[in-house]
Amino acid sequence: MLLAPVDYYRPDTLAEAIEALDSTEGARPLAGGQSLISILKLRATTVDLLVDISRLQELRTIEVADDGSVRIGAGVTYDEMAMSPDLHHSYARLSQVAAHTVDAQVRNRGTFGGNLCHNDPINNFPPLAVALDATMHATGPDGDRDIAAAEFFTGYFTNALTPGEILTGVTLPALAGRHIGYQDIEIGEAAARAVAVIGTSNGNIESASLALGCLPIPIRHPAVEAALAGAPATAEAIAEATAGAGEGIEPISDADASADYRRAMASVVAKRAVMEAIEGGQHG
Amino acid sequence: MANTPGPVQDIEFTLNGDPISRTTSSRQLLVHFLRDDLGLRGPKIGCDTGHCGACTVNYNGKVIKSCMTLAVQADGAEIDTVESLAGESGDLDDLQESFRENHALQCGYCTSGVLMSSKFLLERNPNPTAAEIREGIHGNLCRCTGYVNIVKAISAAAHGDKGLALIERLNREHAEEAGI
Repeated sequence: MLLAPVDYYRPDTLAEAIEALDSTEGARPLAGGQSLISILKLRATTVDLLVDISRLQELRTIEVADDGSVRIGAGVTYDEMAMSPDLHHSYARLSQVAAHTVDAQVRNRGTFGGNLCHNDPINNFPPLAVALDATMHATGPDGDRDIAAAEFFTGYFTNALTPGEILTGVTLPALAGRHIGYQDIEIGEAAARAVAVIGTSNGNIESASLALGCLPIPIRHPAVEAALAGAPATAEAIAEATAGAGEGIEPISDADASADYRRAMASVVAKRAVMEAIEGGQHG
Repeated sequence: MANTPGPVQDIEFTLNGDPISRTTSSRQLLVHFLRDDLGLRGPKIGCDTGHCGACTVNYNGKVIKSCMTLAVQADGAEIDTVESLAGESGDLDDLQESFRENHALQCGYCTSGVLMSSKFLLERNPNPTAAEIREGIHGNLCRCTGYVNIVKAISAAAHGDKGLALIERLNREHAEEAGI
């Protein structure tokens, strides 16, 4: 398929990229292109200028700080996440998720930042960022700012970035003894997805964060989190605490799965994600 | 490029070891550039939506789908297509030979992409299990559904007769489980 006529510019620095993105309303950043090229083929949006940020070194590093937090550049590919020893040591579950994203060809091009900014309801990293209370770092013509993950995702395929602004990286806080559970039901890309971040102490759940995907906006589920906090870390207690995960959510409905089915599966993936996080704690 | 008016760019890159210097339309996909402007027939256009992997090429040492990449993004890159595998006299490389011996192709349309993904897999993981082979070619669809022989050919290329025996045993076990 042929794209509509579009201009292309590959800046050498982040500053040049911001300047170019701010130069015309129709400018958009192009990173791995694994979603954007599809959209342009479908001519679902109009872009006058593609600003290729895929080679900007400022966006391509993974840094683990002394306190255990990790900063991942927006331009780091899924494959680079999967192959990073640093990420494997500090955030093993995240590198596993990256290692199983779509297929080898997409992993070699698609970027962490692109997955987050595109905010397709079935994308795998938005609910992870929300469950972890990640901090999103943005740069634009008016300078730098940080956006909490909970505020970053604003709706179907949309985010809190303003025109001319780009996501430069994401900081994930130290896990500090907590463990991640990441579970989905693979129908199409995903019919339901839950991410749990759980801390346990003496056989009880000490802290619980639960985010759900496959929704227009990935959300935390405060009612389930409240039910989990302080509960014994047993299968029965977890099943009871997560039983209401489908309540009050409005999942997407499409050819892969209906909203009712996705709602019914929310408690299934929530339970599995919490169980996985607790088992991860027991094994190390 | 003649049929794609609009902004153009000059690009220079290495294709199968040879330097290339051309002008391309900014909106041209890499697969169209390779096929229409450079005359290659290895990278195929299958689905044109990034799902089938028939257009798979190697870009700076890693496989990508050339229908999901712009030709201008080739600038400065090293790109290898399936044409890079066989020797100048047409001698097949080991992986291609293994595909031939194990009848790993029927219509052949997916083959150039599958070969590029398999080569990338074996470079990273010279001793893959059957499951790892299947994961490695996950991004390549074979509409003839000839996956059994494709997996066999890749395993044989990696492990020789031992790999073949391993895959045949797995296939027998699967067939017994399925009651075939």
